[in-house]
Amino acid sequence: MTGTQDDWSVLMRAANGGDARAYSRLLHLVTPVLRGIVRARGRAFSAEAQEDIVQDVLLAIHLKRHTWREDSPVKPWLYAIARYKVIDAFRARGQQVQVPIEDFADVLPAEPQADPTERSDALKILGQLDSRSAELLKAVGLDGADAGETGRRLGMSEGAVRVALHRALKRLAELRERQVS
Amino acid sequence: MRTDDLIRALAADKVQPASVGSRLALLPLALLVAGGLLLGIIGIRPDLGAALMAPVTALKNLLPLALGLVALILAVRLARPGVSVPVAGLVVFPLVAAALFAYGLTQMQMADWGRGLMGRTAAFCVPAIVLTALLPLVAAMRAMRAGASTDPQRSGALTGLACGALATAIYALHCNEDNPLFFVTWYGLAILIVAGIGAILGRRLLRW
Repeated sequence: MTGTQDDWSVLMRAANGGDARAYSRLLHLVTPVLRGIVRARGRAFSAEAQEDIVQDVLLAIHLKRHTWREDSPVKPWLYAIARYKVIDAFRARGQQVQVPIEDFADVLPAEPQADPTERSDALKILGQLDSRSAELLKAVGLDGADAGETGRRLGMSEGAVRVALHRALKRLAELRERQVS
Repeated sequence: MRTDDLIRALAADKVQPASVGSRLALLPLALLVAGGLLLGIIGIRPDLGAALMAPVTALKNLLPLALGLVALILAVRLARPGVSVPVAGLVVFPLVAAALFAYGLTQMQMADWGRGLMGRTAAFCVPAIVLTALLPLVAAMRAMRAGASTDPQRSGALTGLACGALATAIYALHCNEDNPLFFVTWYGLAILIVAGIGAILGRRLLRW
């Protein structure tokens, strides 16, 4: 696994500098590792609940990405967030766990199982958001539209879309937090 | 929502969240308002300059100031996941306070210890400090919410400790009770009360 940490740190630095592709790549690299951890620790959960926890961690990484110092390695920071959110998610779902996540390398990365959270579930969760936020997340996440395109579709400026998207993600995280705790 | 869709939405979000540091800019303002209000009502002791020449009285002012700044720095550091924070180092402060207290005992007849401890203003001092700390505590807690402490209760306690100690440093500009038996006891109690409030608030407010 040598080199991985540098790669992740480099990607994260680029991401914080505004490089969305580097950021997307980083999240795609981290996700199977997170999934492996959650699956190894949370066997009692359905595949759907496991994937929910993975998403909780990803949202937390995203909304707290400014708490990483660029001059420090990214992995201890990522571990700490993953450990906190995984323990939190397990506790909220009524299971006490020991989560010694010393090294992600100990865990086999896992691929998603045959899509546990299909589009219908996506729509169900989005349905709990206000309609503007839900529409934004649908456009950007499910349809892959960019901010300008989404803005034209929803009659908003590009800047307004950016702010509203950020708010929508924060609200999504809060909603999920409330739902499980 | 499928995980790939979530990642796409996350990568599209370019808004940089506010940092703890930038939000802490409101803390000095809150201290100024709360401290200004307190001192505006009860005043600064007229002999402050002369009183600070005595080492014990200087420590009465400097110790809470130093504790407040150190606790604040630790709280800010603890808001970063994966960073180890030397909280145990804080033990220096109660040790110095205990030494001051012991010194105070040696300066009085045993029969006078009770009088020295109670002073004249204990019943006013503690609530005054706690009330002064509340507005700064709100400002600091709000800033800490931008962080990501993996120990919300401890972060809240440190934030409360910082605000309680800084409020005490302001109150000490007014207070003319220079007996360590008095100020170690009552300042200490007031600071611990605010730290306790911070811990309780932190448990609720600093989760993420």
